[in-house]
Amino acid sequence: MVNVFAVPVFFICFRECLETSIIVSVLLSFLKQTLGPQHDEKVYKKLVRQVWLGVGLGLVICLIVGAGMIGAFYGIGKNYFALTEDLWEGIFALFASLIITLMGAALLRVSKLQDKWRVKIAKAIEAKDTATGVKLSHRIRRWTEKYAMFVLPFITVLREGLEAIVFIGGVGLGMPASAFPLAVICGLLAGVVAGYLIYRGGNHASLQIFLIISTCFLYLVAAGLFSKSIWYLQNREWNKIVGGDAAEVGTGPGSYDIRRSVWHVNCCGPEIGGGGGWGVFNSLFGWQNSATYGSVISYNVYWLAVIVGFLALGFNEKYGHWPFLKAKAGTADDSSSDTTPPIHYSDKGEATEGTVREVR
Amino acid sequence: MALSLFNFLIIAGLHLFPFIEAATVTKDFNITWAYGNPDGAFNRSVIGINNQWPIPKIEVNKGDRVVINVFNGLGNVSTALHFHGIFLRGQTEMDGAAGVTQCSIPPGSSFTYNFTVDQPGTYWYHSHVKAQYPEGLRGPFIVHDPDMPFKDQYDEEIVLPLSDWYHQMVSTTLMSRFISFANPTGAEPVPDAALMNDTQNLQIHVQPGKTYMFRIINMAAFAAQYFWIEGHTMRVVEVDGVYTEPAEASMLYLTAAQRYSVLVTAKNETGANFAIQGSMDQDLFDAVPDGLNPNVTGWLVYDGAKELPKAQPLDAFEPFDDFGLVPQDGEKLLDKADYTVTLDLKMDNLGDGANYAFFNDITYVVPKVPTIYTALTTGDLATNPAVYGVNTNAFILKKDDIVDIVVNNNDPGKHPFHLHGHNFQVVSRSADEAGPFVANASIEAAFPSVPMRRDTILVRPNGNFVLRFRADNPGIWLFHCHIEWHTASGLIATMIESPLELQSSLTIPEDHYAACRAAKQPFKGNAAGNEKDFLDLKGANVSPKPLPAGFTARGIVALVFSIISAFLGMAAIAWYGAQPLGKGTEMAARGIVAEAGEGVGEGEVTGTRPVGKLE
Repeated sequence: MVNVFAVPVFFICFRECLETSIIVSVLLSFLKQTLGPQHDEKVYKKLVRQVWLGVGLGLVICLIVGAGMIGAFYGIGKNYFALTEDLWEGIFALFASLIITLMGAALLRVSKLQDKWRVKIAKAIEAKDTATGVKLSHRIRRWTEKYAMFVLPFITVLREGLEAIVFIGGVGLGMPASAFPLAVICGLLAGVVAGYLIYRGGNHASLQIFLIISTCFLYLVAAGLFSKSIWYLQNREWNKIVGGDAAEVGTGPGSYDIRRSVWHVNCCGPEIGGGGGWGVFNSLFGWQNSATYGSVISYNVYWLAVIVGFLALGFNEKYGHWPFLKAKAGTADDSSSDTTPPIHYSDKGEATEGTVREVR
Repeated sequence: MALSLFNFLIIAGLHLFPFIEAATVTKDFNITWAYGNPDGAFNRSVIGINNQWPIPKIEVNKGDRVVINVFNGLGNVSTALHFHGIFLRGQTEMDGAAGVTQCSIPPGSSFTYNFTVDQPGTYWYHSHVKAQYPEGLRGPFIVHDPDMPFKDQYDEEIVLPLSDWYHQMVSTTLMSRFISFANPTGAEPVPDAALMNDTQNLQIHVQPGKTYMFRIINMAAFAAQYFWIEGHTMRVVEVDGVYTEPAEASMLYLTAAQRYSVLVTAKNETGANFAIQGSMDQDLFDAVPDGLNPNVTGWLVYDGAKELPKAQPLDAFEPFDDFGLVPQDGEKLLDKADYTVTLDLKMDNLGDGANYAFFNDITYVVPKVPTIYTALTTGDLATNPAVYGVNTNAFILKKDDIVDIVVNNNDPGKHPFHLHGHNFQVVSRSADEAGPFVANASIEAAFPSVPMRRDTILVRPNGNFVLRFRADNPGIWLFHCHIEWHTASGLIATMIESPLELQSSLTIPEDHYAACRAAKQPFKGNAAGNEKDFLDLKGANVSPKPLPAGFTARGIVALVFSIISAFLGMAAIAWYGAQPLGKGTEMAARGIVAEAGEGVGEGEVTGTRPVGKLE
């Protein structure tokens, strides 16, 4: 059994693939429901292509990097990635968390628009010029708006893919090569199937219900990522202090910094031996067997910000102005000469003064 | 059957026909800071005596009285001297274990060690204050014996101390790094060098055909050493002060604190010189640093004009097994034990995150009142181990009981154990990974009839041993791992032997109390210094609390809070998602389309009016 099917490898592949396919299937399902072929074939196809392009490019890059890494490992005998793993995991996770948060709110919002408006907006964004005339900061923003359907899957696949490679590299070195293929294929397959089911479910449910549920899910993932990013950065500090990979000592004493510990259970570690079910639990909800003040506080702060953000957004939609601020007279055209940064509807963190004026 | 007839005759003989008058050897030791650079790689502060380092050898004859007047001239740290392996029969207060048999001597104080040495052999003396002797305060203590049974078999004696050596301060810099949350695995600092006779590249000039007795002492803080002399075999004649039937050995393994006397006969020709090699046992090291040279080389020099050859590399270390040694006095296996002390050894972390060493789940913490004073001042309760504090691992031994000490090493490391005030018969020692000792008839039948005796013995990784001795020396005697790191992290038990007899027989010299007063350390009452209720140990020195096991109240609150946050957050999402479209969104959407609409047609967007992030 062990020689043909490495269970830890299966779990790693499954959980990394699961996270990716949740995001990809939510996006695809969203596109299908909002822009589907019946609305505007051209824009729909273009955006779907963006999604798959993101997936594909992410996959290619992480295969190249992975090959290089394995080459370096066997050639030089040094696991370079593991050394900086916590750093890039932390940064990637933070980045991914922010993007998922922004996209989630945007998708949810768009779902409320009437069909014709969705198409119009999609077309409008699609048609935006990103090359000339305007300031760089605006160009970047427009580019991200235009290619958001590319960026999110790309980042997700890249992050999950690299993570999978590093983790498999970590647990799989002692295993015979014959134990890999079946485990990897089964893991990926299981993840893809889960994603496909979400996609099908999404296409059949009411768009609004589907998006509410899937946004909840996306935000659970994003909250976990946000908390994990802090956890990873702190773990990096800890590894520096103990001078090695703390995870090497397992889940017992010494695997965590007692000074920062909020809880610690000597089991259920999401990074030990592939993590098993706890690894899946970790990638969906950010579970840690060793929670730090940083990871707990950041998790709660994230949700607090989400709550405040959505309440403000709801308020704004209802009354046309932000809570605690007077509604400003005039129309959207007023601010045409305004050069201050734009409103990010979906960014819960910025639903405060400073950006408010421009909404209106 | 306390003594064999043979023993009796020897002792009787000594008393009837003394060869020499017992003398008094007096030393004045001003313990001071000095500098030392024994490996030629790093000049560092060391603790010396009378401004000298290495510190002097103490050489006395059997039966001599030794008077050492110590003055602590260090200025910033306390000290105490222990005479390793000396039984101090009836003089336990001279054992020098700080916090156990005396208060440590504070800077500027004086303290006199005054005791009689009734045993021959190779010993050493060293500081017994936490982690202090590796700073250099350790040296040979040799007891010559006019009745040495092998005295006709050798021409000359050579004292050859081995040691490990650290460049940084062990008692401060390295210790604070060792017992720390940042060292949760308890990795012991690795020495920077190995030393032979407190130097390297030692040359020992020998004459062809002569026989030399090497008294080899490992004075290390940590590292055991393999020891061999190329081209020569050694005949072991003494271990830890016990003469043995001569045994041929080509390589010795000396743990920290062990000693061997070996006879080496020089070759008859002077054609070549030979390497004497010491090599630190790297199995002990958590990670071997790049560039560490674990070896120290010296030479048997037959001809100073010839080259000093490099030591030959070895395929494997195959040291002599000391278990099979037979004491020359033929002392038989003692009767079955009256009392067995079982000590389960483990390493674990406590609530401060640092790694500690435990006997039976208790890590040693030095008591407020030195144990000897507790034994003397708690009356009949002195036979109750509770008065000595929970963290001293105190065991009360009855006079003349046969005592077994069983150590079960539940740790993958090698540990050299030393018992103060006695040597012991090593009646059983397992191989690696044997697990805990299980007494049964067949194992007991296999105990050697004349077991090896010594005062420091190695327990193998995850193995065990059984030591047997007669509790015939009233006193307070530590039993501890002689790896100084582990002594500091608590691998100590306290044997309290006949405390009521101590109360009637012992007189503590005034300067001992003076040291306590100068150090402001209590010297009456139980371990906590309570002179009224000896069983009330409030305020005693104790170890840090254990690590919280799993979820504590704090963890549960945090987890519940996080779950509630997540549900509230999802409720907010659902509320927002279900809320019908308001005028705000519509206006924003219009804005986007309007703006982009212009752009589509004209190929360029001239306005910089920001728009909402809508897909």
